[in-house]
Amino acid sequence: MTMRQTFLLICFATLIPLALEPNGYYIRILTLALLFAALGQAWNIVGGLAGQMSLGHAAFFGLGAYTSTLLLIHFGISPWIGMLAGGVLGGIAAFLLSLPTMRLKGHYFALGTLAFAEVFRVIANTWSSLTGGPVGLSVPFSEPSLAMLQFNETRSYYYLMLAAFVAVSMIFVIIVQGRLGYRLRAVKEGPDAAEVIGVNTTRVKIHAAVISGSLTAMLGTLYAQLNFFFDPDTVFGALQISIRIALIVIVGGIGTLFGPLLGALLIIPLEEFANVMLADRAAGLSQLTYGALLMAIVLLQPQGLAEFAKKLAARISGKVMSSKTEART
Amino acid sequence: MNTPLLSVEGLSKRFGGLQALSDVTFAVNTGEIVGLIGPNGAGKSTLFSTLVGLHRPSAGKVALNGRDVTGLRPHVIAANGLTKTFQNVSLFAGSSVLDNVLIGGLVHSRVASARGFAMDCLKRVGISDIAQRSAGSLSFPERARVEVARALCTRPKVLLLDEVMAALNTAEMDEVIGLIRDLRKDGLTVVIVEHHMRAIMSVCDRIFVLNFGQLIADGPPAHIARHPEVVEAYLGREHDV
Amino acid sequence: MTSLVQAIIDGLMVGGVYAVISIGLTLVFGVLGIVNFAQAEFLMLGMYIAYFAWAALGLDPLAGAFLAFGIVFALGYGLQRTIIQRVLKAPAVSQVFLTVGLLIVMENGALLAFGSQIRSVTTAYQTKSLQIGPFFVSLPYLAAFLMSIASGVSLWWVLNRSWLGMAIRATAIDPMAGRLIGINIDRVMAIAFGLGVGLTAFGGAVVLPYLSVFPTAGSQFVVLMFTVAVLGGLGSVAGAVVGGLAVGVITSVSALMFPIQLQNLVLFLVFIAILALRPDGLMGRA
Repeated sequence: MTMRQTFLLICFATLIPLALEPNGYYIRILTLALLFAALGQAWNIVGGLAGQMSLGHAAFFGLGAYTSTLLLIHFGISPWIGMLAGGVLGGIAAFLLSLPTMRLKGHYFALGTLAFAEVFRVIANTWSSLTGGPVGLSVPFSEPSLAMLQFNETRSYYYLMLAAFVAVSMIFVIIVQGRLGYRLRAVKEGPDAAEVIGVNTTRVKIHAAVISGSLTAMLGTLYAQLNFFFDPDTVFGALQISIRIALIVIVGGIGTLFGPLLGALLIIPLEEFANVMLADRAAGLSQLTYGALLMAIVLLQPQGLAEFAKKLAARISGKVMSSKTEART
Repeated sequence: MNTPLLSVEGLSKRFGGLQALSDVTFAVNTGEIVGLIGPNGAGKSTLFSTLVGLHRPSAGKVALNGRDVTGLRPHVIAANGLTKTFQNVSLFAGSSVLDNVLIGGLVHSRVASARGFAMDCLKRVGISDIAQRSAGSLSFPERARVEVARALCTRPKVLLLDEVMAALNTAEMDEVIGLIRDLRKDGLTVVIVEHHMRAIMSVCDRIFVLNFGQLIADGPPAHIARHPEVVEAYLGREHDV
Repeated sequence: MTSLVQAIIDGLMVGGVYAVISIGLTLVFGVLGIVNFAQAEFLMLGMYIAYFAWAALGLDPLAGAFLAFGIVFALGYGLQRTIIQRVLKAPAVSQVFLTVGLLIVMENGALLAFGSQIRSVTTAYQTKSLQIGPFFVSLPYLAAFLMSIASGVSLWWVLNRSWLGMAIRATAIDPMAGRLIGINIDRVMAIAFGLGVGLTAFGGAVVLPYLSVFPTAGSQFVVLMFTVAVLGGLGSVAGAVVGGLAVGVITSVSALMFPIQLQNLVLFLVFIAILALRPDGLMGRA
């Protein structure tokens, strides 16, 4: 995608809310989708560029949500500062996780990271004096203001999440085009060869993990502010967060700039509509549909939607969309 | 006498019960082209991998320009000027030829200047015309050349070439031999593992012979060709020299 | 001291069951090369089959275990041929998401079919226990342990003493070579998958006398099974037995020291430590 097209896309995204009810259902879904697109983009740094399929990003996400909310509850500290504190903790957590999982590959890496996030979930559920335990935490209400990251209208959150997505995407692009991006691709495609031509594979993987973990934690704060309430199982949950983020990127196109957005715009509304339409019929039906769709996606389109969209665009316009190759080269 | 550029003392490598290298000692001086020959399984590739740090030696010492680099990680050794190509060719298949080479240049410079130098390296090995192709789509001889260009891009002092002439025809082989001689003119020191005896004999100043992980001979090509143990172990059976 | 020995005895009893349910996971990985995230759902399925066999036919869960094995074996065979087989050569990502999808479908399918209520069986031996000196061995735990060991030994016999076992092991080592010497590897893989999930279902049935069944009953075993399998080395059947007993003892002994909620935490930490230190398992791959 060219600069001009990207600019038009952002303009379009800025204008969408004008056509929707400011506190309505649809804008809420889009807001959530943008948040998950941003999370996907942060995950993409590790999952897409370094080729390490993390299933533990809920650890950072929840850490960010808890850090800013606890600072707000106990000390009245603005979530902006809480977000930075969460980002630092998320980076530290990602660094600590890298140490034991550094040399793991494929399934083993996925399992190790999954267990790591579960550790956080168990601790958050158990350490009730700090976290409120399974009951969860409520973000205290204050006067709506940008300084306290609280708004009356979902529309404002929409712009917040849009800005977050654009910011994380810019970081992604900077990484892709810089030294780190080249080195990450080398690590992904041939770790031994990368080492022999001078790439410090350990450090490169740690850098990617720390940036990704830190961004994910900061997005956790935004989630807490959007939702006003959360509990350990929702923010540290494997299915709710870790697997969902990975799924979004994989469906949209792993390692690509627009993959996370595509994936989030498909998966999040799909989940929401499935919930609305099926939840009343019978308990479990919407989840069942979701699981079946997941299986169907894997069986039908293992390369992801971006690949599919690319083929489609190539057929329509006769030329290949360049967004994907740009993100890769 | 000057300190040799690359000196190896008593190098041994053991994998479980297999003694892949035992007590290998040799030295390579600046500007030399040295051949390393030996039957399949003699330990040539293991020796290269151990020298660049992919394997940690069980015993012994490797020094580069007098500096002990034994047991250091490969990227540190590469930054010190020793790198190698891979026998089975290990390119980053999803990236373009230029990007493959560019990554080697990141040891010393940022992306923009590494890109320019990477183009120079591609010109050097005569494949600048395929810079934008995907590395996964190349023929074997092309890939071997990208390997060489990528290694050159790290600005090595010593370059270990592991069978870069495999699958080349005579004309292509002569080109590579010419390239190796040119590299030496620029001050590079080269160690070559190769099965083509003609190539090895014509380009090398000295030849080491490895058999069952041990260095059994060391000398100029003419001397090696007559060495009884070498003829017995390797040359006599497979080649007429 | 007494309580420590008692904890070790309890740990070994449940560890035997852990071993059997994890053998299923490790067998599937060893032969098919995929990590089945949905494996624990077959345990839940085994529990339901044993429960309904008890409720409708009056069959003791220990006997129902054989029924559970048979039904789930057939189901697994079919699943492998229709779905799992299609991702055997796909990237790990696709495999993970397929089996996670299967997990969600099975868990919620159970919720739709059986409702959310918690069900349990009543048996005559449920509350009895043997006393040996100062120590007690609960009878349902002992029965589950013995049944598990018996099924583990049977599997060992099949793998090592029968033509089928040879074919399975050959396929695990090198599918291409297996094909060359005339093994129908597609069928062998389906049988291995059936055996794997069937064994896990068998393990689910034998614990029914002391555990209840509900749609998410499997999920509490997920991490446990992975810990056992990784501890023993993914793909190693003997390793799973040792790993199962070890995990049983670890959880049981850690319960003496930590509150119940933190038992899982100990397990996770053991799991991560093993992954980091010995990714091929404590015993290496068999």
